[in-house]
Amino acid sequence: MRSRYSITLRIKRYDPDRKRSWSQDYKLEAGRILRFTDLFRKINNELDPTLAWNSSCEHAQCGTCAVKVNGKPLLACELLVENAVAFFGTTLFRVEPITIAPVVRDLIVDLEKAYERIEKIKPYVIDPVENPHPGNAYQVSPRDLEHYVEATRCINCFCCATACISSHRGFMGPNAVLASVVRIMDPRESAKAERLDMLYSDQGIYRCHTSMACSFVCPKEIDVAHFIALAKAGRFGAKGRK
Amino acid sequence: MLAGKKFQVPLFSSSAKIKGWPYVIAWCHRISGLLLVAFVLFHIYAIQSLGFPDRYNADMKLYDFFILRILEWALSIPVIFHALNGGRLILYESFGVRDDRSMIEWLFGLAILYVAILGILMLMGTQSVSPFFFWLLVMAGGLSLASGALSKVWDRRHSLPWRLQRLTAAFLLVMLPAHMLFMHLNPSMAKDAEAVVVRLQSGFMKFVDLLLLLALVFHGGYGLVSIAKDYLSSRALTVGLAVLIALTMLVAAWAGIRITLTV
Repeated sequence: MRSRYSITLRIKRYDPDRKRSWSQDYKLEAGRILRFTDLFRKINNELDPTLAWNSSCEHAQCGTCAVKVNGKPLLACELLVENAVAFFGTTLFRVEPITIAPVVRDLIVDLEKAYERIEKIKPYVIDPVENPHPGNAYQVSPRDLEHYVEATRCINCFCCATACISSHRGFMGPNAVLASVVRIMDPRESAKAERLDMLYSDQGIYRCHTSMACSFVCPKEIDVAHFIALAKAGRFGAKGRK
Repeated sequence: MLAGKKFQVPLFSSSAKIKGWPYVIAWCHRISGLLLVAFVLFHIYAIQSLGFPDRYNADMKLYDFFILRILEWALSIPVIFHALNGGRLILYESFGVRDDRSMIEWLFGLAILYVAILGILMLMGTQSVSPFFFWLLVMAGGLSLASGALSKVWDRRHSLPWRLQRLTAAFLLVMLPAHMLFMHLNPSMAKDAEAVVVRLQSGFMKFVDLLLLLALVFHGGYGLVSIAKDYLSSRALTVGLAVLIALTMLVAAWAGIRITLTV
């Protein structure tokens, strides 16, 4: 097992002041278990302080460091150098911003813009049902939870939306559909009719062509395509029914 | 999943590694669909000369050229691929079959088998299959599949065009590959204007061809509009293009219906 790698990051850069984009190569000597966020930081510290990139938790929980590496959308904080070399079979990595929203600078995209489509589907319980045990927290039965608990792992990193064959113009996106499906399956939600209307709209499941790239690239290993297919199979009750 | 050593296809494997085989197959489905819409429009145009038997027979002579025979055979690849993959998508989405790896293996296996059988039939020449018997069996198969799909997608909250698209997909899954098979089981019945006209005197054959035509035109038109919606953000442009596609398909349907009913 090698302990160090000579790698090249070919990073797509963008300068909003001059509205100019270009690719820039950074050659690095990197330890095998450095993450790509570590590499970006190394570039800032040793080679180029102007490279802009995004991260927050760096524990694969916030999704802000999502980028495309050799075309694959992923979390930079999760990708180790040795894994990247093994998976892609190269030491040259093209790093680009995800394509879900306009680029602000270099690898940073406008996440507020990206979140607009999530906010549209109201990612919260719109109209809670009455709690049968007032004064206590509502208890979701393990049996109910089992059906959708996997989908609650979504961190809205937009890797699925970036990989999707449907592009982002007409489709609300796999993660927005997933967020809606989670609340439909949640027994605490009573506004299911409103949610179903959104789901069965022209920006909803009809834009999904079951390319399953969402499930393939999801860093949280959620089978997104399965949940979208449940909606297509009409598993969520009749329209308008609560 | 299938991007392992067991299943390496040049060009496609690198994309499959990045986004998975189903993603690559989804692109192939889209491209084969576009090819088939183009061919259906050409086919409807080509059969317009049935009203002028000499011209039709002269046109059909062109298919004796080796290159055109090869292209004719190659057409079976998008036909069977699109049909079987449509079946796979219906099974995944509406019937809850989640063993997609097996379905993809079946898709490629059956597609290769069909293309090979068609090639053998083309080399063997006419097999003199009774059109009535052949199409009765095929219609039974097509309608059975369509009714199976109907039970899953119809009485639901889905939009009517989406339901019709699934329904026509299930019907065409059998009908379209059978249309190609029939032509090569009975080449003389497809390439001789008189034989085609005699066959179309049967009310049953008119019914089969009209049903096939309407299903094709609707399915192709819906597919084109669906692709347009994926890429256009302007609503006016999307509606404009949808109207243009609908008009094109209506003209094609009218031309097909007219020639089927009048010969």
